[in-house]
Amino acid sequence: MTLAPVDYVILALYFVFVLGIGWFVKRRVTTSEDFLTSGRSVPVWITSLAFIAANLGAQEVIGMCASGAKYGIMTAHFYWIGAIPAMLFVGVFMMPFYYGSRARSVPEYLKLRFDEKTRGLNAITFAVMTLFSSGISMYALGLLFQLVLGWSFTASVILSAAIVLVYTFLGGLTSAIYNEVLQFFLIVLGFSPLAILAVAKAGGWHGLQTRLAPVMTHSWKYLGSPSQNPMGVTVFGIFAGLGFVLSFGYWCTDFLVIQRALAADSMSAARRTPLIACFPKMIMPFIVILPGVAAIALMHMGTGYTLPLKPEGGYNYDLALTTLMAQFYPAGLLGVGLTALMASFMSGMAGNVTAFNTVFTFDIYQSYIRRHAPDKHYLWVGRMTTIVGIALSIATAYLARHFNDIMDFLQLVFAFVNAPLFATFLLGMFWKRATGHGAFFGLFSGLVAGGLTLGLTEAEGKGGWLGVHHVFPSSMAQNFWIAIAAFSTTFILTILISFATKPKTEPELHNLVYGFTDIKHDENVPWYKRPAPLAVIVIVCLVALNFLFA
Amino acid sequence: MEDLRIPIGFFFALLGLILIAVSFFMPTAHAPLTTVNINLYSGLTMLIFGGAMLWLARRRP
Repeated sequence: MTLAPVDYVILALYFVFVLGIGWFVKRRVTTSEDFLTSGRSVPVWITSLAFIAANLGAQEVIGMCASGAKYGIMTAHFYWIGAIPAMLFVGVFMMPFYYGSRARSVPEYLKLRFDEKTRGLNAITFAVMTLFSSGISMYALGLLFQLVLGWSFTASVILSAAIVLVYTFLGGLTSAIYNEVLQFFLIVLGFSPLAILAVAKAGGWHGLQTRLAPVMTHSWKYLGSPSQNPMGVTVFGIFAGLGFVLSFGYWCTDFLVIQRALAADSMSAARRTPLIACFPKMIMPFIVILPGVAAIALMHMGTGYTLPLKPEGGYNYDLALTTLMAQFYPAGLLGVGLTALMASFMSGMAGNVTAFNTVFTFDIYQSYIRRHAPDKHYLWVGRMTTIVGIALSIATAYLARHFNDIMDFLQLVFAFVNAPLFATFLLGMFWKRATGHGAFFGLFSGLVAGGLTLGLTEAEGKGGWLGVHHVFPSSMAQNFWIAIAAFSTTFILTILISFATKPKTEPELHNLVYGFTDIKHDENVPWYKRPAPLAVIVIVCLVALNFLFA
Repeated sequence: MEDLRIPIGFFFALLGLILIAVSFFMPTAHAPLTTVNINLYSGLTMLIFGGAMLWLARRRP
């Protein structure tokens, strides 16, 4: 793929705007809370779009297109059964406690609700995870641009890291959130033409249905037994593993996304953030998954298009998106498409860096290293953490380049790390009796149980270093079951240990637990500004989508 | 709070204008698998979107 001068002009224009927004926002940042939590002042439409944009990293865009090509429209379960119900749950049921507790981060909520050791465990795992995720994302960017455009790995990594560094250093979380919104629109407007052109070329939805195996265009029909579908899963696996444990674990506890809602300017806005975000999230599969499905149809049509092969054989599905872009985008729009790809890498990276910043500064530095310093000092620490965080991410990117196996392993671990945490939150927010000891040991055992399940089972040649006792048909099925094991362990052990230990008293739990919290019902606001009616509309759309593509 | 609609509006309006200009100067340049003048249509969409953002920002400051 070669770029024309106009494509570089578009890329440069984007960089100018991204840095400009950072510069623009800088004037507002005077305290550590401005820098790390946006001072709880961001309008709701911005937090909503940032809520999904922070998650819309490049692995998401490229990975969903690849899964579309590999598994077909079934991939949409990640949105329609996975993300959306979890987003509804966090908005309607959990946000009153997150926002109402005035915690500045997810680990800080755990400190208020449970104890110091639970916070420490979560803060440290989260900090390590965000750094590695950010590094892995950078590595993927460097690799892709090297492969597709022939750019040097170092040049693309350093360029994107430098730009993210400048705008997050200047404006902190607000700057990251503002840029995520710009990135979101760029991703939507830059990739939708591809979905439209590719599907139209394949003969529309009807054309896809006639040209592809039926399993590719149905999301539910072939989930009766694992052997019927390429994902190797059943309805139970989808509902319990993906829908319940994994997605609720991610969307309800991952500080990366929760942080966006906590930046909203009121409790009502914080609750509506994930609910409003459901609407664009619901239509994302049409933009990111459909091109992948269409790619397979185009291969069958003899258009000359074909997916590149991996060196070890089999199609390289990860290249579906970029090869389609080369086939459908002329100079100009190609620049927009690549800029959108760059934008998605940068939004993922910036999301990780800003979440890492807050957790490090408030939950590690302020809690364990230096407690009562003036606010100016924490603002300075926050800014320095940005630099250190990005430097460590770059180091991780190079580590990933040299030790592929370690990264593979870490990605397997990160895939289930939030699952036990969701059990902790579920009990913490809705069961007054849950105790700090219960939460800590429950969470810890859940992580161990997840690790053991990974060590004792194998799928697609991964895992099983403690001896293979079970083989899953796909790594997705393995992932779902690991999450179920980790979640159940935490859930059961937390309950058992809580009964054996002393609970906190009512005044200590005020605004932290269901039953000890006054949840304000907005009586005097119009219906479209209330969480419940919004949630009902989302559910209706969701059921309709599942039926349409069943 | 600075109005984010203004930079977004300018960005997409400019991007739209660039794409429209490209579609006029290189009308024959198209990608292998399609003959649609996609630069023109995408450019128009982006120009309208950017314009709408700017209009909203002006109307409700």
